[in-house]
Amino acid sequence: MDDISRTRLREIFGDRFRDAPDDRLCYSFDATGREYLPDAVVFPLCTEEVRRTVLLANEFGFPVVPRGAGSGFSGGCLPVRGGVVLSTERMDRIITIDSGNLLAVVEPGVVTETLKEAARRLSLFYPPDPASMKFGTIGGNIAECAGGMSAVKYGVTRDYVLGLEAVLGTGELIRTGVSTAKGVVGYDLTRLLVGSEGTLGIITRATLKLLPLPGSTGTLLALFRDNGAAARAVAGIVAARITPSAMELMDRSAIDCVRRVVEIEMPENTGCALLVEVDGALAAVMAEADGVEAALRTHGAIEVRRATDEAGREQLWKLRRSISPALRKIGAVKLNEDIVVPRSALPVMMAFLSDLADRERLTIVNFGHAGDGNIHVNVMISGTDADERRRADAAVEAIFRKTIDLGGTISGEHGVGISKAPFFEMEVGPLGVSVMKRLKAAFDPKGILNPGKIWLDEGMARS
Amino acid sequence: MTDEELKLKIAACAKCGSCRSVCTLYPERRDEQSVARGKIALIESSLAAPVPLCPGDTIPLGEESDAAIRDALADCLLCGRCERNCPNQVAVEEILVGGRTRLAGKLGLSAWKRWLFGEMLPSAGARGAIRAAGGFAQKLFLRKVPTESGLHYRFPDLAGLHGRTVPALPPSGFVASLPEGEGLIGEVLLFVGCVFDIVMPGIGRAAYETMKASGASVAVLRESACCGLPALASGDREGALKSVTKNIASIRARSPKSVVFPCGSCLTMFRREVLSLIPEGDPLRADADWVSGRCVDYATFILETGLAGRLNPMPVVEKGSVGWHDPCHLSGTLGRGGVARDLLTRVAGDAFREMAGASLCCGYGGTFNVRDYPTSGRLGANKVSLAVRGGTSTIVTACSGCILQLRDMAARFSTKTRVRHLAEIVRELLP
Ligand SMILES: Cc1cc2nc3c(=O)[nH]c(=O)nc-3n(C[C@H](O)[C@H](O)[C@H](O)COP(=O)(O)OP(=O)(O)OC[C@H]3O[C@@H](n4cnc5c(N)ncnc54)[C@H](O)[C@@H]3O)c2cc1C
Ligand code: SF4
Ligand code: SF4
Repeated sequence: MDDISRTRLREIFGDRFRDAPDDRLCYSFDATGREYLPDAVVFPLCTEEVRRTVLLANEFGFPVVPRGAGSGFSGGCLPVRGGVVLSTERMDRIITIDSGNLLAVVEPGVVTETLKEAARRLSLFYPPDPASMKFGTIGGNIAECAGGMSAVKYGVTRDYVLGLEAVLGTGELIRTGVSTAKGVVGYDLTRLLVGSEGTLGIITRATLKLLPLPGSTGTLLALFRDNGAAARAVAGIVAARITPSAMELMDRSAIDCVRRVVEIEMPENTGCALLVEVDGALAAVMAEADGVEAALRTHGAIEVRRATDEAGREQLWKLRRSISPALRKIGAVKLNEDIVVPRSALPVMMAFLSDLADRERLTIVNFGHAGDGNIHVNVMISGTDADERRRADAAVEAIFRKTIDLGGTISGEHGVGISKAPFFEMEVGPLGVSVMKRLKAAFDPKGILNPGKIWLDEGMARS
Repeated sequence: MTDEELKLKIAACAKCGSCRSVCTLYPERRDEQSVARGKIALIESSLAAPVPLCPGDTIPLGEESDAAIRDALADCLLCGRCERNCPNQVAVEEILVGGRTRLAGKLGLSAWKRWLFGEMLPSAGARGAIRAAGGFAQKLFLRKVPTESGLHYRFPDLAGLHGRTVPALPPSGFVASLPEGEGLIGEVLLFVGCVFDIVMPGIGRAAYETMKASGASVAVLRESACCGLPALASGDREGALKSVTKNIASIRARSPKSVVFPCGSCLTMFRREVLSLIPEGDPLRADADWVSGRCVDYATFILETGLAGRLNPMPVVEKGSVGWHDPCHLSGTLGRGGVARDLLTRVAGDAFREMAGASLCCGYGGTFNVRDYPTSGRLGANKVSLAVRGGTSTIVTACSGCILQLRDMAARFSTKTRVRHLAEIVRELLP
């Protein structure tokens, strides 16, 4: 970046333009732990400042990389080609919550939990619940199409975005979508922007759909001898026509991993655990919980625990919540993947993963959203053993191939970014890549926005 | 801590960003430098190899960034929320203090801090002399603000002082005012702490008198050095170690059954930091363990003596008008907030009610308050105004920093609000 660009940016942002090395370093990373130094960081307060930044970038040819909270798992906000990191964290106003029309209008830097809480106070519900919701932003959620445990019943971020305001790579300001529950006028640009990882436009405002807040929640934890039994129980719940609001599966690898770190009482022969939640009106919750419990017991649960009050529910969640911290303790590096397979293929995939771990002498810890087939696969490595690293990389590739063979996808919610770029074409095929590149050119002809992401271009090393 | 040890502790940080959701400072600063993740990344980069091995690896920041990193690290309240909330149990405080120490070693401490931590605070005599000079200067230059918690002086609103107030320095400190033969020997040792000895001796005295009233034989550690926390937090390990060594030796020599701390921050220094300053294998470690294990907070001690049951009932005050403020170190780091509430429930009955925003940091943060008074003041004012709006008129707590801060805030914005130490409440009810 040259001095004129800096001067011009400083004119727009004043002391919200930063280019000291320490400031830049603090915007060089995200939750992948990788670091790429931007040339500068800016903190816009309004759409106009975003627009002026992108116009300048067009004039002087520097990259602009939008960043929310930097909690991404695929390197989406890393400035791999330098340029300006545009942090949305100060554009964090909730503009309105309209309880009559069940919608909210927010700026991109609003932290997801802040919106959920504001809605809750009005007995409204913004369902998406990525585990990072206490710090991740709505802008980041939209750009990655984040999902969470409740996706099995409520869907993912995409399902709640009605309309967007965004600055395109050209600096033009576009408003897409509607403020109504329906709308079919023209191509669905809103859906195209959702999950576009900051490569098509910078989202400056979002209109989001809300639901009435469910009155109560019931939680059940079932322990099984093996994955097969748990998978049959999942099928049983679906067959009973019950849609849980969460259905989390933890296999033996995950349970063993937690057991090494915290004490949780369960029978010695527990080989798989299933956590199920149902929500809605109290009477319905009670009836559905009974239905779930019956299905769990029919399919061979060794034990079923049940809670409806907050304290009891927390107790049941402890096992699930302890996994991520426990993972950190058992390996220095984790290759963290979030594949999705059709629900019916879940048992096949789980068996494949455990065979692969045995064959390649790797620790692979699996848990995830059994309800929608999304499995978090964590290949744990020491980080110092080159041979282990090679086996782990090969294993990840094998897992991706198997996923695609089973009709699944290599990323359910974390996005491609730089981490999955090498495997991108494997899933979407050459024509898919080509059409996407043509779309990219229409939104961002000069390649200003978040270059070096999603697909590998020249000079990108395989990560 | 060696650079290698520091790197190892840093490696536990997953850069997940979870600390953004709890940081006391983040809502004020709203940038990554203010939160633990940013600070840890800065320390990491100052330790990194000069050339990253491959793209994406840790980026080294050269020595020319040392001063900027030191400033970024100083911009922190050491409230510990990031550490307590961290899903990966990263030892954030140790890392930040380790980083501060490393940079203080490279860049040197400022002259006044060297004097303060190296000479002044470790010596009881020097502190007394300074107190006398300070009290005289106050009367001469500053404006009086009478408050419900005693006379305060207000600095003029210039030269970065922003109308700050400080308590009027009394003519004599608590220890200095003890009659000659008083509090020399006893099974239980009172560690008063600098602030409750010199700046607010009434609290030191209240702690002493109530402890005696409990039936215990109480000695006062007259020859105590500063607990060492201000030095440690500023990255002056040597200054801290000087104080700590002195204190451990004098406490061990008296072999008390327990050592009681009216100040939560001093207690944290003894319960936790001392053990990282004096590692396993150090010849001092056995004594440090012995002493550390006997250190308790004021509320725990008083509850165990049963004194609470023998007190007069609290004079009629409005229901729910007495609240408890959680000091970050006492309640957060040491988890003693529950015990303090138990004591308050016993002595104040239904006058005590959970205060709005009880666990919010008061914004004092030791040297942070000196470094950035406007921010510290905003955090404190917010705390007090939340409490007042929630119906609290007496804020009770048990930490010297919090009391200095909360009394300053009350003097500036809400002179009817009383800020009391637990011991003051108990003393008023002595039969
Ligand atoms: C502990 C932890 C748990 C997680 N759990 C989940 C989970 O359960 N489900 C899930 O889906 N993800 C999860 N994630 C991943 C991550 O939190 C999500 O991808 C989240 O959506 C990222 O939001 P962010 O604000 O941090 O965005 P960032 O990481 O800052 O950016 C992510 C991407 O969004 C783009 N972007 C950000 N703001 C804008 C904008 N205004 N306009 C255009 N593009 C923008 C960036 O360029 C980047 O490509 C988790 C992460 C962590 C660390
Ligand atoms: S300190 Fe803890 S919470 Fe903060 S980024 Fe590191 S691992 Fe996450
Ligand atoms: S100690 Fe407190 S102020 Fe400092 S980084 Fe942690 S949470 Fe923020």
